[in-house]
Amino acid sequence: MALDFSLTDEQKQLQQLARRFAREQVAPVAAENDEKARVPWELVEQLYEIGLLNISVPEEAGGLGLGLVEEAIIGEELGWADMGFYTIPMASELGITPLLIAANDEQKKRFLKPLTERPSLASFALSEPGNGSDAAALRTRAVRDGDEYVITGTKMWISNGKEADFNVVFATFDPALRHKGVIAIVVENDREGVSFNKIHGKMGQRAAPTYEIIYDDVRVPLENRLGEEGAGFKIAMLTLDKTRIPVAAGSVGVARRALEESAKYSLEREAFGKPIADLQAIQFKLANMKIGLETARIYTYYAAWLADRGDPAHISASAVAKAYASEIAFEAANEAIQVLGGYGYVNDFPVEKLLRDVKLNQIYEGTNEIQRVIIARDILKALR
Amino acid sequence: MILTFMDHDGTKLRKSALESVTRARKLAQTIGGEVVGLLVGPGAETVAQEAKKYVTKVYTVSGPDWQNYTAEKWALAAYAAAEAAGAKVVITPASRSGRSWSPRLAFKLNAALLEDTLDSWAEGEKVFASKYSFLNRVLEKQAASFPAVISVKPNTTPLAEPAGEGAVAALSVELGEVENKVEVLEKISESGGKVALTEAEVVVTGGRGMGSAEAFGMIEELADLLGGAVGATRAVIDAGWRPYGEQIGQTGKTVQPNVYFALALSGAVQHQAGMNKSKVVVAVNKDPDAPVFKESDYGVVGDIHQVLPVMIEEVKKLKNA
Amino acid sequence: MKYVAIIRQVPDGESKIKVDGGKVSLEGATLILDQMDEYAVEQIIRLKEAAGGEAVVVAFGPERTEEAMRTALAMGADRGVLITAEGYVDPITQAAALAKVLAEEAPDVVFSGGQQADWDSQALGPAVAEALGWPSVTWTTAFELDGASAKATHDLDEGAEVVKVALPAIFTAQQGLNEPRYPTLPGIMKAKKKEIKKIDAAELGVSASKVEILEQQIMELERQGKIIDGSKEPAAAAAELIRLLHEEAKVL
Repeated sequence: MALDFSLTDEQKQLQQLARRFAREQVAPVAAENDEKARVPWELVEQLYEIGLLNISVPEEAGGLGLGLVEEAIIGEELGWADMGFYTIPMASELGITPLLIAANDEQKKRFLKPLTERPSLASFALSEPGNGSDAAALRTRAVRDGDEYVITGTKMWISNGKEADFNVVFATFDPALRHKGVIAIVVENDREGVSFNKIHGKMGQRAAPTYEIIYDDVRVPLENRLGEEGAGFKIAMLTLDKTRIPVAAGSVGVARRALEESAKYSLEREAFGKPIADLQAIQFKLANMKIGLETARIYTYYAAWLADRGDPAHISASAVAKAYASEIAFEAANEAIQVLGGYGYVNDFPVEKLLRDVKLNQIYEGTNEIQRVIIARDILKALR
Repeated sequence: MILTFMDHDGTKLRKSALESVTRARKLAQTIGGEVVGLLVGPGAETVAQEAKKYVTKVYTVSGPDWQNYTAEKWALAAYAAAEAAGAKVVITPASRSGRSWSPRLAFKLNAALLEDTLDSWAEGEKVFASKYSFLNRVLEKQAASFPAVISVKPNTTPLAEPAGEGAVAALSVELGEVENKVEVLEKISESGGKVALTEAEVVVTGGRGMGSAEAFGMIEELADLLGGAVGATRAVIDAGWRPYGEQIGQTGKTVQPNVYFALALSGAVQHQAGMNKSKVVVAVNKDPDAPVFKESDYGVVGDIHQVLPVMIEEVKKLKNA
Repeated sequence: MKYVAIIRQVPDGESKIKVDGGKVSLEGATLILDQMDEYAVEQIIRLKEAAGGEAVVVAFGPERTEEAMRTALAMGADRGVLITAEGYVDPITQAAALAKVLAEEAPDVVFSGGQQADWDSQALGPAVAEALGWPSVTWTTAFELDGASAKATHDLDEGAEVVKVALPAIFTAQQGLNEPRYPTLPGIMKAKKKEIKKIDAAELGVSASKVEILEQQIMELERQGKIIDGSKEPAAAAAELIRLLHEEAKVL
């Protein structure tokens, strides 16, 4: 009888709040923000007001100290309304997580507390122009100079980036050491030598800001380093093992939206004298979306539950959830376009945006190919 | 006995009074007894001359204490009349005020309240009514034992014809401690329409697509031409273009006119809750996919600023013809 | 001062209504704090925030009403009292039970929603007021405390009026009174620890409903859907529309 899939009363209330906020505030402006590639700061402020921003900040730093199950609940609802918008709070959690893993109490107070005192974001800077998933090959340098590091290099595809208070930057103090030469260090965006280029022309998720960040001899005190010198790579991996789960949750939201829009349209649209919902060809598409949605949702929550329990099985589970949910969501969005036909292909209806948005879920926070490497490693590890 | 509250404007009966009489007569055919009327407030004696043609007896309650309406006072007057008449049923209007004091009356009489009813009838020792529920989306049948207070939804019941000459009796009602609890400081008249929205045969409602408060001049003009009332959507109220009293919908008023004009509004569920029982719905919207067209009998896909002025001119031609 | 909001849990207006065996089935429907009651809850929280005191939510309904009550607590109300009864109980019968709880709570100001989104009833607020011998003011759009009385603007059949009301009194709320806040996540977590006292309706003397709901059916009027495309020639379309309304529908 130990299996229990129910949410607590508070989690149900959270779900209702997030769903209502998504429906009333986010969904109505999603198309406009997408078209104008506009960052909806007012929605970030509202998220802060209702307490749905940066929810993992621990209680000792003034936050709620909530876990990935709660984040997944929020992710599904906001992903349903606008995956692009959800990437903003999601990427902030990505920036917070390294501090949850490795920051000392003083660092938590210094960096995380302000995130609870006003609408503000964190950000995570790992990828570079020449390397994404091969995190051990990063080129950004951190040269020790007395009680400071001097950071030089370029970070790429950074969600939030300039909009955040700080970036957790991964840099190497000795490239020859590969992953053992990496540090994780908090670099505030107002330090001298930090500059940003906004990345334009994104296919989807256009409400979410994405930056290239250039660090040019940026001096950062030692006390901004998270964990030991050389622990940076480990911190990055431990972070992504958790934060893949919100990507999966956002994907579940996209898949749910695709199914809802398809089902609704199929009942309204008539062909050959009856609603197209009566056609088996359409019914199969709806059923397939449902199969993907339900399995992805339950597995995403399972992965979140494992992570919140501190069970190491979450490493593989989060990779499975992320790869699977983003793929079924992509497929659902693709099929939704097919169900809506010509209407699915134009931006008067919300489904083509689902496809453009969710494509990124197969790429960021570790491509789905990398997720499979993680999964395979886990399978083989037990046998070797 | 059946008591029917007869709403009036100080000089003549309101339409709702004649709807109530029809309902009272229908019940009287089954349960027996006479139909007795009640007039409350300034002008009751004057209106009694008209009212007595519909009922066997008219009670009037008026005087210095009865200048201003309050729910407590009106419930008290109805209670006194119900007691005086030995009424088994009291019929009241489901107007905004009627629905405010009828529950108080039902409580005083320890009676069942059948609220906002479309129809009502009796069988044996039971009284039945039909009404809408779930934001006007469900039709339900209710049953209760006597005594009962039945409020009549406006524009649902045929108007009664005069039938004889009843008596008029002034009823003296002591206010007691109810007297000074509510004091009216200021009356605010409704701008725009001259007809009560919930009783109007024609309602012309504008949505956010009107574009500005000024554009509602055209809405007012069409409403005036048709002897109708002006309505507005929640978005319009939120924008501050029209007063709250004109809001149609879940959080506003519910109307059921002969013709409902839904102009430059999309037709959200919350709005439909306030108008979906209108006999004929007419929509104008530039978006052919607007949900309002699915709920309309007639419609034009087009720009309101081009369509509405022509509609007004055409209606003028009809009136002059 | 003490402020009370009488609240209810109802199906979300956005969710589809189903009828099963001649009765509305709420299975699968999203149930929420009645949006009209949100104005009431918001108002008592504002009163408490402005003048201090206690904001209490009171409800009569099935056990599940606790969820809506938690929402009100998450918005900022202090505690709740829930009179539990399964199935339909008419507002007049409810009022007698609610009045007993309110008499004990002895609030200064009570708010409730102007109309219920399930039974489409406007009776509960006035009926409770009658049971307590208090004044009632319906469809309130503005409210301020003024010593031992309150000043309120409320809608009438035609127009509106400003009234001065001796307290305690009951007011029904509607749009315009305020802009209800969302509950907050910290509020949800705090609400977990707030007290909800449950009282069985039978203990308050409720035996049976005075009104019985016999059968329910979905009401959808068939609309003709005669839509004229006026995107190219709006004037001609407008003229045709009026002609149809006059000659065919015969409503003008």
